[in-house]
Parts: sequence; structure tokens; C-alpha cells
Amino acid sequence: MTTDANDHDVLREQVALYAVGALDGPDRAAVESHLRQCDACAADLAAFRQVGGALAQAVPQHEPSPALRARVLAAAGRPERMRALPVVVPWLAAAAMLAVTAGLSVYVAQLRERVRSLELQLSDAILRVNEGERRVNVMLRASADLERRFDVISAPDVRRIELAGQPAAPSASARVFWSRSRGLVFTGSNLPKLPAGRIYQLWFVTTTAPVSAGLLNTDDSGRPIVLGTSPDIPTPIALAVTLEPEGGVLAPTGDKYLVGATQ
Amino acid sequence: MWLLAVLVKLGDAAAAEADRAAVSRMARGDRDALADVYDRHARLLYSLALRIVRQAADAEDVLQEVFAQVWRHAARYDVGRGTVIGWLVTLTRSRALDRLRRGRVRPQAAADEALAREVPDSSPGVDLALVSEERAAAVRSALEALPENQRVPLELAYYEGLSQSEIAAKLGVPLGTIKTRMRQALVRLRDAVAGQVR
Repeated sequence: MTTDANDHDVLREQVALYAVGALDGPDRAAVESHLRQCDACAADLAAFRQVGGALAQAVPQHEPSPALRARVLAAAGRPERMRALPVVVPWLAAAAMLAVTAGLSVYVAQLRERVRSLELQLSDAILRVNEGERRVNVMLRASADLERRFDVISAPDVRRIELAGQPAAPSASARVFWSRSRGLVFTGSNLPKLPAGRIYQLWFVTTTAPVSAGLLNTDDSGRPIVLGTSPDIPTPIALAVTLEPEGGVLAPTGDKYLVGATQ
Repeated sequence: MWLLAVLVKLGDAAAAEADRAAVSRMARGDRDALADVYDRHARLLYSLALRIVRQAADAEDVLQEVFAQVWRHAARYDVGRGTVIGWLVTLTRSRALDRLRRGRVRPQAAADEALAREVPDSSPGVDLALVSEERAAAVRSALEALPENQRVPLELAYYEGLSQSEIAAKLGVPLGTIKTRMRQALVRLRDAVAGQVR
């Protein structure tokens, strides 16, 4: 496809802008396409490319810092290289000495930068090790927790007790695995979020009086809570959960939230 | 040698050849070649980046991005497309303008993002060609001598990366007028490069 004379005139006007990188979008694509088939415009392009270069050279000149050189070379994944020092030519001896001094001071600056960079890497590495240790500890705790739960659930004397929501929390429910020898796993769901200064307390309801089985530090998602229970606790006829002041109480005082018979 | 090297001007044929050889060495993994190119051109590139982004820290980041890209893409450099310094100048302007535009939109988020991701090739277009110091000085004078209504649109386009429509809106001048003035300005600068003016 060729462009007609009309297009040529329009596009030739745009070549100057294209050459200095001031054209984008469809205009740029049209000029690029035209340049492939028009020698006159291609010749214009060469002249205007020099204007682009000259505009880059026309800015006030500033010296970049020596540290930048170290950064740039380090970013290419290599250790810092010494800048080449001058060959001492007799008639340039004095100038060469100055150059050596300048080269050395640059090198010293680069070494300083390198040391600083290594210090940063070291402190980063220490932080990573600490973070790694923290994660291992979290995993060890989680693993021990799982082991305890499994231990309770797989006990020969384990009993499963379903707890149903009461008028204070009709949609709540819970499941308890209880082994006299190994402890107790509590899994609650839909328990209302605890008000400030209050806590849920689990009770073993016996023929005589309720006995506390522990405080439930349950979270919003109803994560299972493992509780230790005393081996000499009387066999309960039911389990109940009440809302009590933080720290717990010796005998239930608050509303019942969950109740389930052990049979 | 070191002192003589300082005297070698940009655009000089020997320097252009040394640049090409250095890029070939980079393509073969020779990291000293990167240092050579840096030592020859960092001042010019840094000055251009600083003119565009205005902050020294940003200009340094731009240079780091440019040289990282040159190092990675050395093997793909096509010697037929122009001089290495032309390529470097084009890349530097393009990267600096990218940074300037991101800064205009969301300064902090953009900076974080730029650190976190690989910088894409934003297709800088045609490579620029450097001229002798003498010609550059002539262009500098010609630029300063341009009528303000021609100089300002050109500077907004070249150093701030604004499109012609954006320049027209910013200056409150019709788009057609902006196009004409920029074209006139560039023709005068082209003549200055060619030594036909003043």
C-alpha cells in the first residue's frame, strides 16, 4: 500500500516530532509505516534525530555521585571493580599522581559504599534468621497442639458430647471430646463475640453441683480449644457453657449459652 | 591514557566504536565492559535524567534502571540501529519520563511498584543521535533564542513527555497551533545542527 501525496505532506510534518520522541499512539504508528516507504521522509528523520540528541545534550551538566557508579555496577550482579589507574608517562608524572589520588579517593568512596551495602545485607540476613526461628516456633506449637487434640480424640475412653445453643445464643453449637485420662477438646461455632471483660466458662454438671472444666478462650472462628481436666472430676450428667466475668468464677453466675447431656 | 580518555568527546567515532565493542563484550558476560560504558556516558545520561525528573535520587534510580536494562539486553542490541549512546539517551529519556508520569499519578505507590517489578520496555521509539559539542552548543543557543510560544511547547514535549493534546490543553492553545509551533521550533533547531543559522 502506498500513501498518496496528500498523506505524504501531512506525515512529513509529523516526522520532526516523531524523531525527537514527541509522538505517540496512532500518529506514531502512521509515521513509522510511512517512513518504511518514503526515502525523503527517512532523510528528514536522520536530520531530526540529531535534534533529539542535541536536546539531550543541551541540558545543564551535573556529575553523578561515585556511590551511583557502585550501585549501578553492583546491580549487574558483580563485585565492585577498581577503576583503572593511569599509566605513568614521564612528562605526565605530576598529572598522573593527581589522577592516582583522584582514583584512590573514588576507590575509597566505593569501598565505603560497599561496606555499607554489606552491613545492610548482614542486618537483613539476621532479620531473616530471626523470622525463620519465629516461624519454626509457631509451627512447633501448632504441631504440639494438633498432637494433643489427636491424643484426646483417639483416647480409648473418649466420649463425644454435642452442646446445643440456648435462648442467649440460639444458633450456637459445640462439640466436645472428653477423655478422663487425656483431657478435653472443645469446638464451638456461632458463639457470640465476647463482650469486654467477660469470658465463656465450661462446666461439668454433676448430680451435686456444677464443677468448672476451664475457661474457653475461643476465637471468632470457633477454633477448637484444648483443655486439661482433672482426673478426679466427677462423671458429669451434662456439660454447659455460661458467660462469666473475666478470670472465671467458682460457681456459674451468668446466662447459659450452651448445654448438652453426656448421654 | 586515562587523561586522554577524558578528552574524547561524545559522538567521536572512536568512542562510538569502543561503545559497540563494549556492548558486544557485555553480551558475552564481560562485566568490566559495563563499567567502561558507564564511565564514558554516565554524566550526560545523569544530567538528562535530572533535567526530566528533577530529584537527584530519582535521576540515580533512572540511571540504575537504564544500565540494568542495557546489561540484560546487550545481546539483543542491533549495531545497525544507531550508536550505543543514541540508544542510551533514548532509554534514559524514556525511563525518566515514565518515572515522571508515575510520579504525577501516584507518587509513593508508583515508586514502590517500580521497585517491586521488572521494568518493562516501554518502546522508546527511534534512537536519538548525538552531535558534536559545538553543534550541541549551537542548538542550545538556538533553543534559547526561540520565541517562547515555540520553545515552551517543545520543552513540555521533550523534557516532560506531554502529548501535543496535553500541551494544547495546558497552554490553552488550539492543537493545530501547537503542532505548527513545534514543527517550526524543530526546523530551526535542525538548521542550527546543520550550521545553517547564525
